[in-house]
Amino acid sequence: MRGKFWRTESVVAYLFMVPASVFLLVFMFYPIVYVILMSFFRVNKLGDLMSFSGWANFRFMFDKPEFWQVVLRSCIWTAIAVAVKTGLGLVIALLLNVEFLGKKLARTLVIIPWASSVPISAMIWQWTYNNDFGLLNHTLRVLGIWKNPPIWLAEPGSAFAANLWVDIWCGIPFMALVFLAGLQAIPQELYEAAEVDGATSWTKFRFVTLPLLSGVLTVATLLSTLWTFNDFNVIYVLTAGGPGTSTDILITYIYKYAFQYLRFGPAAAMAVITFAILLTVSIIYARSYFKEGAF
Amino acid sequence: MKRAGLYAVYPLVIFVLIILLFPFFVMVSTAFKPVSEVYSNPPHWIPRELYFRNFSDIWYKYPLGSYFKNSFIISVGTTLLTMIFCIPAAYAVARLRFRAKSFLMYLFLVVQMFSPIIVVISLFKIVALLGLLDTLLSLVLTNSVFALTFAIWLLSGYFRNIPKEIEEAALIDGCSRIQSIIRILLPVAMPGVVTTIIYTFISAWNEFMFALTFITSMDKRPLTLGLYNFIGRWTVQWQYLMASAILALIPVVILFMFIERELVQGLAGGAVKG
Repeated sequence: MRGKFWRTESVVAYLFMVPASVFLLVFMFYPIVYVILMSFFRVNKLGDLMSFSGWANFRFMFDKPEFWQVVLRSCIWTAIAVAVKTGLGLVIALLLNVEFLGKKLARTLVIIPWASSVPISAMIWQWTYNNDFGLLNHTLRVLGIWKNPPIWLAEPGSAFAANLWVDIWCGIPFMALVFLAGLQAIPQELYEAAEVDGATSWTKFRFVTLPLLSGVLTVATLLSTLWTFNDFNVIYVLTAGGPGTSTDILITYIYKYAFQYLRFGPAAAMAVITFAILLTVSIIYARSYFKEGAF
Repeated sequence: MKRAGLYAVYPLVIFVLIILLFPFFVMVSTAFKPVSEVYSNPPHWIPRELYFRNFSDIWYKYPLGSYFKNSFIISVGTTLLTMIFCIPAAYAVARLRFRAKSFLMYLFLVVQMFSPIIVVISLFKIVALLGLLDTLLSLVLTNSVFALTFAIWLLSGYFRNIPKEIEEAALIDGCSRIQSIIRILLPVAMPGVVTTIIYTFISAWNEFMFALTFITSMDKRPLTLGLYNFIGRWTVQWQYLMASAILALIPVVILFMFIERELVQGLAGGAVKG
């Protein structure tokens, strides 16, 4: 397919790609390059590059025990949230895969936490967690589930749990829906064949459902990892990383350094580290995405 | 699934729904209470009487109308800009052969996953240089950047599913390429175009972090930021915040219901295509 036609086709293609590409260059790739530059320079309070400083910004962060606590917390945050979202999502998907009256309605209702705006959901949760007037602790007490629930957002430990739960709650619907789509793609004959062989529910789940869901599981878990690691809105709205920095994860910590402390250099250094982490996970996600269905 | 399992399903489904909808019950309960009931200890679920005053108060006491207007302008602007960039790019990806295609698509997929936080530090600098701090345009631009890659992904998928022959016939009949896109492809791919528009609109409507960073004046705040500022100034009037939240959420939740299946497909790729 050489010759004039092919040449013009690709010229047209590049022309069509120009607007989007230029836009992304200016507002996405240039900022990434600039952040990398910032991380190796002394930067003033306006974000101007002052003088080359090598690894100083990175060292400044590495020497802070608080930074390592935040890194560790980000990992714990991501690991727990993704595990719980995956588990609960799978359970809900299995439930919604059963034929029952009102299934469509149930499915629609399950979507709502995903459909609503995360910052606004977080504000509603903030009120729900209120100790004196909030309905969560009141309901826990009245039903006798928990006689002395904590003042959720006041203590580091319970505030972390409260943040974590809201992030999980926001993420469950996507997991449930993606697994449901995966379940519905499994051919019924496989289950029938397994039943003929005398399989119990558990063996069917273990040897038919799970293996056939593995592709969906991989992609969904990777996506969820990226989203969870990047969850700025929940933490910023609920506790803004407080009390102190006890509920900060890397994403909110970077923001704090840049826009509260106006330390753009160290913030940029942390952004570069985060960028490297996300890039790695994104590439793994992209690979599994294409492996499952090339375009 | 056997019939016997059915009796266990309902309690479980109801339990799951209570957990997932809990804060929305709280939202509705609080939005219909007068202030005396909102701050009563112990609290109660059911308002003594349905109190609608909160919904009229928020329009008079707070600039809620202006928050809505700003969110709407930002979302429409973002959608327009994103579509202008995204339609030709998606067409090129779906219909034309060029060398950098698979590399670009790969790049877009990876870029989609970045947190805006990584670049907000330098975007702040760029927005300031352009003299766009505290303008709605700054949010239109930044929201578009982060919606664009996924929009190209989504739309090119729809374009690819439409048989080439229809446009080729038009090209042979002497239509220009642009005409064949506008007259033939876009009308046929309308469901996909609408899905992409809704996705972009919602992502701009829900955006918070850029607004928090770039907007300082009260009269330019979008809803997310405006409602956030209900909190932490004076004492929070939670019944007003909850009433506003109901109004802010209804349009996005309804719109979202239309595109949720496509989003799941688009994000999980071939993994869920049965």
